[in-house]
Amino acid sequence: MQANARHQKHALATFVGLLPLIIFLALLLYVGLNAPNFLTFMNLKLVLAQSLPVVLAVIGLSAVVMAGGDDVVSGGIDLSIPATAVLCAGIVAVITTAGLSLVLAAGAALVACMLVGGINALLVTLLRMTPLLTTLAMFVAVVGINNVITSRRRLDLTSDAIASLRQDFAFGLPLGIIIVGILVLISYHLLHRTKWGLNLQAAGGSRDAAEISGIRVNTLVAQSYLLAAFMGFVTGFFILARGNGYSPGTEDNLMLEMVLANFLGAAFSPRRVVTMWGAVLGAVLVAAISIGLKTIGVNVFWTDLIKGALIVTVVALSAISERVR
Amino acid sequence: MTEAAFRLRDIVQVFPGVRALDGANLTVHPGEVHGLVGENGAGKSTIIKVLAGVYQPAEGHIDVGGTAISPATPEKIHAAGVRFIHQELHLVPHFTVTESVFMGQELAGPMGLATTRMRRAAEAFMRDQLGSALPGNRLIRDLSPAERKLVQVARALIDGEARVVVFDEPTAPLASEEVLKIMKAIEQLKSRGIAILYVSHYLNEITELCDRVTVFRKGKDVAVFDEITADTGTELVSAMIGRELDAFFPATSRQAGEVALRLQGFSDGQTFEDVTLDIRRGEIFGIAGLIGSGREELVDALYGLRRRASGTLTLDGTVLDTQSAANAVANGMVLVPRDRRHDGLVLPMTVEENATLATLDESSSLGLIDRKRIREVTQKLIGDLDIRPANARAVTRYLSGGNQQKVVLARWLAKSAKIFIFDEPTVGVDVGAKSEIYQLIENLASEGAIILMSSSDPIELVGTCDRVAVMMRGEVRTIIEKDALNVDHLVAMTTGATDMPEVAHAG
Amino acid sequence: MEHVSAKGNFNLRGIVVRFGFLIVFALFFAFFATWNPVFISGNNLLNIVEGSAILMIIALGMTLIVATGGIDLSVGIALDFGAAFAVVAMKTYDMGWGSAVCAGLIGGSLVGLFNAALVVGLRISPFLATLGTFFIGSSVQRIFTNGGGPISHRRMPDGFRNIAQGDVFGIPSEVILAAVLVVIYYLVLERSVWGRRVHAMGMQRSASIVAGIRVNRILIACFVFASITCAVGGLISAANIRMFTPLSGFSYLLDAIAAVFIGAALHPRGRPNVLGTVAGVLFLGMVTNGLNLMGLNFNTKDALSGIILVSALALAVAQRNMRNADGD
Repeated sequence: MQANARHQKHALATFVGLLPLIIFLALLLYVGLNAPNFLTFMNLKLVLAQSLPVVLAVIGLSAVVMAGGDDVVSGGIDLSIPATAVLCAGIVAVITTAGLSLVLAAGAALVACMLVGGINALLVTLLRMTPLLTTLAMFVAVVGINNVITSRRRLDLTSDAIASLRQDFAFGLPLGIIIVGILVLISYHLLHRTKWGLNLQAAGGSRDAAEISGIRVNTLVAQSYLLAAFMGFVTGFFILARGNGYSPGTEDNLMLEMVLANFLGAAFSPRRVVTMWGAVLGAVLVAAISIGLKTIGVNVFWTDLIKGALIVTVVALSAISERVR
Repeated sequence: MTEAAFRLRDIVQVFPGVRALDGANLTVHPGEVHGLVGENGAGKSTIIKVLAGVYQPAEGHIDVGGTAISPATPEKIHAAGVRFIHQELHLVPHFTVTESVFMGQELAGPMGLATTRMRRAAEAFMRDQLGSALPGNRLIRDLSPAERKLVQVARALIDGEARVVVFDEPTAPLASEEVLKIMKAIEQLKSRGIAILYVSHYLNEITELCDRVTVFRKGKDVAVFDEITADTGTELVSAMIGRELDAFFPATSRQAGEVALRLQGFSDGQTFEDVTLDIRRGEIFGIAGLIGSGREELVDALYGLRRRASGTLTLDGTVLDTQSAANAVANGMVLVPRDRRHDGLVLPMTVEENATLATLDESSSLGLIDRKRIREVTQKLIGDLDIRPANARAVTRYLSGGNQQKVVLARWLAKSAKIFIFDEPTVGVDVGAKSEIYQLIENLASEGAIILMSSSDPIELVGTCDRVAVMMRGEVRTIIEKDALNVDHLVAMTTGATDMPEVAHAG
Repeated sequence: MEHVSAKGNFNLRGIVVRFGFLIVFALFFAFFATWNPVFISGNNLLNIVEGSAILMIIALGMTLIVATGGIDLSVGIALDFGAAFAVVAMKTYDMGWGSAVCAGLIGGSLVGLFNAALVVGLRISPFLATLGTFFIGSSVQRIFTNGGGPISHRRMPDGFRNIAQGDVFGIPSEVILAAVLVVIYYLVLERSVWGRRVHAMGMQRSASIVAGIRVNRILIACFVFASITCAVGGLISAANIRMFTPLSGFSYLLDAIAAVFIGAALHPRGRPNVLGTVAGVLFLGMVTNGLNLMGLNFNTKDALSGIILVSALALAVAQRNMRNADGD
């Protein structure tokens, strides 16, 4: 009888746990019914194209959270990814606008981005600074430096290679979507299907357990910040492609969307923890909702309210399902 | 005679101010289960850490399988085939059984992780070696404590290189029926010629499972028993405690008063059912029971830390509101919790801040803390309880277990409460402080306080309590009166070895 | 005993451990003063303090929330709501300045109540709860102002304008307000029974519950108290520019967090504390002002203050680590 009761409770917890996804799908269905052309292939492509920078950023963020643990204040978090991304975008835009080669620009941007990741890693592992604080401060500093580099100007895209991420098609899909798709698959493999990825998750899941099993937690945490910086670097190119050039001030929104997607993703995952694929799914769904609401004519001022309500609802449901369990 | 699986000789380990090990010896042979017993602070955990290579002893020799290892490092010890099953369940809650077993030693194939191979290996190991048919994709957080323990064992042994396995209190978090699973698994390991060192407080498990037993006291091996029968238990107890048992507990001529505190029909709908107890003023009332017996949950429910499904609590006939801990404190009931470092103290705070946390209102004016008065109060408490260091501004995190517990006690003494609940009051407390704490509890009872003492230590219950209620599987099975109270009987009742009241059972 | 030996012989490490951050503070001060002597003029020092007043107030609210073991990303929303309610009360409902102040404070407290409902009621972690509040609060402002345009109120009652533009014996009223709040916060958080309980709860919640502290009540009070404090910042800002500018509070968030954590790192036991926060705010204010006086371009100045922020935090934390290592 006790086993039965436990079973029922488990079923209830599973149901409550599935609610976030159900809410999302219901919302999308509602949008689809009210705007019949929403659920079309064209629109799907639009949604995906819109979400690319957030998807890339959130791959890095989820790796950091997995390695550091999902307590937002004391665990792992990297808020500096959006800053790294705009830094890359800024450096590349400035160098290519000056007429120099894209390879040189990319090289310079890569060095700068990895430097940011390295400093993050150093401060967090060696100085034991709180990641939230460290990466927030780094965000401010890097955005500041980037504003010096770009003088806060709008810079139009001059590189065809970057534009091709948006304009060129392969197999009927924009090249950018295909590239990000491949990157998602590679990162999925790396983070969820290799020894390294599993050790990373162990480090964040229980530092003591990982250390007792001979896993070098600090090294993994440091590597996660480097990975995040690298994803920020990649994101930079997609920001340039999406905006057809560099525009100042894209970082704030990216940061909020990235954090939102990451923690929504945790609510989607059956284990109720931050996962890379959950975060990516979160990023795509948030983009879908934003575009969907626009399609059915919801005032754009309401979008943030709906996002805020979503995060609160989903996190609350997630907490409730944990308690039921 | 066969080569010893490992041998520790004349180990001396010194910490600032303490000789934790003072020429200790420990020898374990292949294919035997060797028990290691001793009181808290006798040096059991220290010698395990010496064996693990965590501590480098000042003197002594370590050899494993006939080869001397010097200096012993964790890597060398691991390479020699010595494995440790730590007391804490170091597992990631959201990992699967397979992932946990292979944590840090994952198998890789050409396409990344060999998930299927690992899962089969983990399931086969759990089934064949440990006798537990756990699916490899089950999450750790959905497992029972015993199953988690087995996963921990599997993680240590899956590489097949283990020669010696040290179990440190493997059954502490387990319910009695779950203990059997661990015992069965250990028997299987033994049959494969693996040497096992079994460290436990539960003497019934020791006598049941072990082939030989070493007793530690004050950092030394004081006795080795080569023949173990069910009767060895009492001999072990006297070897552990020495001859100090009588002097250890306070003498008393205290007479309990009228029934004052009454629990009626307490249950939480899950772990304990229909608990009814009458407790007298000036009485030390013990509650015995293994983990999982509902003892801890009862204490939590009594103090408002756990929701109760039904039951009333009355003090002298009027209902006592302890629906929340704050209400309990306001109504004169206080708790010295079992997890001192987590629930007892705010560790980053100082002795003064912790000791006065519940009585701030009495040392303040207009809501502002009177710092001079609070310093005086603290100094007095430090003096009364002999807290060391006698520094009000010492951070409690760095205090010894005994002194930490004294700070918790100091807080409640300052509060002058009427009802004291002590939950495992001397776990991790050194012998000297232990005795002082017992004296304090005795003094409180003499002054007419109502005292509940929940403990997993039968010696402590017998030494201090007037009556002991024994809980098992969520029910109070019996209440043992003072004249029928002895360690053997209490252990037998608690572990379910007997349910016959020994002496004439006074109703 | 460590310290005795550190005192006895010249010990660089000992000096860094004790005075590291103060030394940096002093070096910056000296640097700015040599670069431009105007920096140390009484007028300019007053400028620094005046320019830091709103940040100081926001950072006080943040200190309280960080002391409970949480974080508040919605301090800016509380500031905006404070300004909005007060301006609308005067402009649309023609209220007197006293009632407008009350309206503003009530507006701010709504944000705190909402946070408390999420954190205490729904048990969402403070970071995510206040992030949600931030999203929702931003959106509400956009909806209300139809896209984020400011609501200006030229004919503000003098009483209200004096909140920012008045002075007492030459000291600007916003400085006085901030100073009064510092004193109140110091007494409440560092010297009162209630504040001791807040700290205990923030450091070890379970132990505080066992000690009989009503943690939920305290948490609710903290969120409300902090948001009302931030609303005071909103009143000052509205009085200063005679309008309500939506979403303007966000700009204080990062600096407030930084000031609190610099302050916490300065505390011997690493606790968030009022005096530390004051030091943190003044440090940030000094750097901003000093860089301004250096006549740097806007972007360079921003970048430099960002770099200084990272370095200051790293230094403060390093100092705390070294001190803890000595303490063991």
